[in-house]
Amino acid sequence: MAISDYDADATELLETYVVWPDFLMKYIVIGEAGAGKSCLLHHFTHNSFKEHAQHTIGVEFSSRTVKLGEKRIKLQLWDTAGQERFRSVTRSYYRGAAGAILVYDITNRASFLNLSRWLADARALGSPNLVVVLVGNKSDREDDRQVEWAEASKWAAENDVHFLEASSLSGDNVEAPFLLCARSILLSIESGALDPEKAGSGVSYGDRALRRVNSSSRLSFGSLSGGRRKGSVRLKLPFPGSGRCC
Amino acid sequence: MATASPSPQPAAPSSRNPVALRLYKILGTNFDDEGTRQALKTVSELYGPSSAARTMSRKSIKPSPDSDSDEEEGQDTSATQNTFAETFLGSANVPGDTAARARKHLRRDVENKLTEASHKFLKAFGEVDQQLDVLQQHVATMRMHCDDAESHLEETNESCKALLERAGSLRQERQSIATRQSIITLFLSKFTLTDEETDILTSRDIQVSRRFFDTMDKTERIRQDCQILMAGEDGPTQVGLDIMSSTSSNLEQAYEKIFRWCSFEFRQMGREVQVEVSPTMREAVTRLRQRQELLSEALAFLSQSRQTVLLNAFTNALTRGGPGGLPRPIELHAHDPMRYVGDMLAWVHQTIAAEHEFLESLFDVKTNMRMVGSVRKFGENEEEEWMQELMDAAMSKVSVPLKVRVQQTIRSQESSIVSFKIANMLQFYMLTMQRTIGEDALLSQTLHEITDVAYKIFFDSTAAHGKALLGVTLDLDDLEVVPPLVIQDHGQVLREIMAVYESSISEDETPEQQASGAKQIMDSMIDPAIEMCLTVSEEKHRSRQKWDYRVFVLNCLTYIKSVIEPYGFTKEKQEVIDELIDEKAEDLVDDHYQNLTRDAGLYEVLAICFDRTSEEPMSRIPATEPEALQAALHKFSVWLSDIGVVHSPRLARLTIQSLNARVHHAALERLASSYQRLCEEVRKPSNRYEAAATLLGSERPFGQVRLLWQIFGLQDQERA
Repeated sequence: MAISDYDADATELLETYVVWPDFLMKYIVIGEAGAGKSCLLHHFTHNSFKEHAQHTIGVEFSSRTVKLGEKRIKLQLWDTAGQERFRSVTRSYYRGAAGAILVYDITNRASFLNLSRWLADARALGSPNLVVVLVGNKSDREDDRQVEWAEASKWAAENDVHFLEASSLSGDNVEAPFLLCARSILLSIESGALDPEKAGSGVSYGDRALRRVNSSSRLSFGSLSGGRRKGSVRLKLPFPGSGRCC
Repeated sequence: MATASPSPQPAAPSSRNPVALRLYKILGTNFDDEGTRQALKTVSELYGPSSAARTMSRKSIKPSPDSDSDEEEGQDTSATQNTFAETFLGSANVPGDTAARARKHLRRDVENKLTEASHKFLKAFGEVDQQLDVLQQHVATMRMHCDDAESHLEETNESCKALLERAGSLRQERQSIATRQSIITLFLSKFTLTDEETDILTSRDIQVSRRFFDTMDKTERIRQDCQILMAGEDGPTQVGLDIMSSTSSNLEQAYEKIFRWCSFEFRQMGREVQVEVSPTMREAVTRLRQRQELLSEALAFLSQSRQTVLLNAFTNALTRGGPGGLPRPIELHAHDPMRYVGDMLAWVHQTIAAEHEFLESLFDVKTNMRMVGSVRKFGENEEEEWMQELMDAAMSKVSVPLKVRVQQTIRSQESSIVSFKIANMLQFYMLTMQRTIGEDALLSQTLHEITDVAYKIFFDSTAAHGKALLGVTLDLDDLEVVPPLVIQDHGQVLREIMAVYESSISEDETPEQQASGAKQIMDSMIDPAIEMCLTVSEEKHRSRQKWDYRVFVLNCLTYIKSVIEPYGFTKEKQEVIDELIDEKAEDLVDDHYQNLTRDAGLYEVLAICFDRTSEEPMSRIPATEPEALQAALHKFSVWLSDIGVVHSPRLARLTIQSLNARVHHAALERLASSYQRLCEEVRKPSNRYEAAATLLGSERPFGQVRLLWQIFGLQDQERA
């Protein structure tokens, strides 16, 4: 099962208090009301399904530290309200985000059709190298599906975003979008496209003191790449079915 | 030998003869044994080397086998003896004389030899004796020495015993001392700090580290263990007191050291916006809680540096944006008030979240991943209080520029819709912050203030708007009765504001709360509009009698109502307006009825019929004389077939058609009942009409009210 691969890499929830993160990344979670953004996030941070979820009011904050290879990354997660009336408020939180988790509901076509507007907003207001992961939520309700995997995948490819389906009820794939996004950002740092030194990147070094002492080593991700080769970083896309790729 | 045996044979019968026996015995003796050989060899040696010696040896040999038998059988045995000797001495080839001599002198020789040997012995023993004497002397001397030595030894022993005892006691002493030493070492290691440890605790040169905390733990443990020493029978022991005092001074210095270190680190935290807390720092803060005054002093540094850093960060975000200009400075969007204010508040909110995480990790508070939006309980414990205080202080400096900018923005708004939007957003953030950092926090209060200001400005602007409405005069020459443009504009504004208000309603608000929240807006927006319509129309009516002010007022009222109708929270206001509409509609019905009676030619007849004061019969009054009445009824009959019965051009100008019908019907109803009353009056004998029935029946509706109702198209059920 794909999910177990992530479990291996997922850090304990309380590790935030124990270990020093190497990076801080700001994420926004966006999408139409009722797509299950808060539930997805709740599952990611609490490892449980959020029962009787209400509409989010404005924005809510949570954080979690994850581990990718040798790197510890603290994610600052801003869960936004999907309702139109909060748009003017929530848009202000896009400012300087490094990653965006764009959520739609596979059982609600309307939530899929509006994605372009959300994406445009995020691209316009987030950081220039914003990494977007499209998540088709509620994948457990296959019977009610209104948006086909292939269609969403096509849209994602056309709009240059990552894509996967998840279920915040079953917990299937809930960690994947966050880790995928983090990996993407790390890779763009590695390639030099993104500089955490710039405040607008939405990424910053966790351990500033250490960086001051040894800044060159901080910028090297040899361990990350090497780790992948060795297969210790098991961040592979857990596609439903086999051989499908976005 | 066997050759010799025949000779004693004859004596055989006397075998019991001792001589024979003896002889046999001798003859049977075997000399061929080692002893005999040796003896013979010795004898031969005696005689061998010299004649003398030989003689002696021969002599000695002869008697040596047995001196007794030598006497009796000398002759017999001589031959055998000879052969015997020859057998033995054959090799020596002793000449015969030597043997002879030896036979003769053997005894003497042997004796001489013996004597000689004895002399030798004697002489030797004499020497031995002498030597023994000497030896004895030596032994005596030795003994004396030994005695001496022994006595010496004894003496030494005596003296040694003391020494040994001393040594033994010393050894014991040493052992006990060693035990004591180990006890003391143990004691010291248990109850005192090593120099190194003291250094760790007190020296400024050694970093605060894990070892430092371990040493502190040890010190604390010592103090705890020391309680035993303090609880002796005779009260606290001196050592206990000493240990307590030294450890307490060490501890104090350690706390001082933590304090200094924390203060230093805290000041460093003024450099970065995002800070992480090291485990050492967290431990240090936890420890320092034992010394509240030091902690609060150190935290004061932290608070100061955080204030500065956050203020700088805010200013940077406002004016400079990121280092590369991304994200763009917030003030770049100052022209868009919603975005400007929203961005600032969002920045503050995000900063609070990060700051809160920082404080949580500093105080090692685990929050069960509480989301920021959710309600927080305050003052639950000490850490929460610290955190609240620090958070409050950290944001306090940011409050000032935030307040200034937001106020500037809201004051410069001309559109009341935008001010209302800003006010709503401020209120939203105010509520969010109150839940996050508490109502008493300075930032919450600031937000409260600016929210109030924003609402005040909004209400001021609506009030000003209302005032402006009242000052509006209508174009006297415009006979239109539709709501004027000002009212329509006002309605548009109101519509937008209500849309904003509706969007700001939170899900848990009851309809009552929603309505009360909207009441002020409704009052300030609608009351002046209504008032304006009423007063302005009155004024215009005074100078332009022809102008249909009643329809105008109704049109305005229904328009206003139509604006607010879609929103549930306006119900109260709708009812007020409905009442007003009813009242105004009633007036219009009156007016319309009067018009209808005039149009139908019944005005004068009815006026007399209802209002006459004298007792004079109606038929005697000029206006209701039968002819006049007949004429009036005829006119009415003609009017009944006119279009005016079903349609009133005047009422057609009412924008709401239902109101048009309602008013018209009400007026017709009244007309019908007036006609009925007229008929009743005419039929009364007291009015002295002759042929009243003929008079009424000559013209439609022939005195039949029901018919009239039918003509009017009214349902008369309720009348029936």
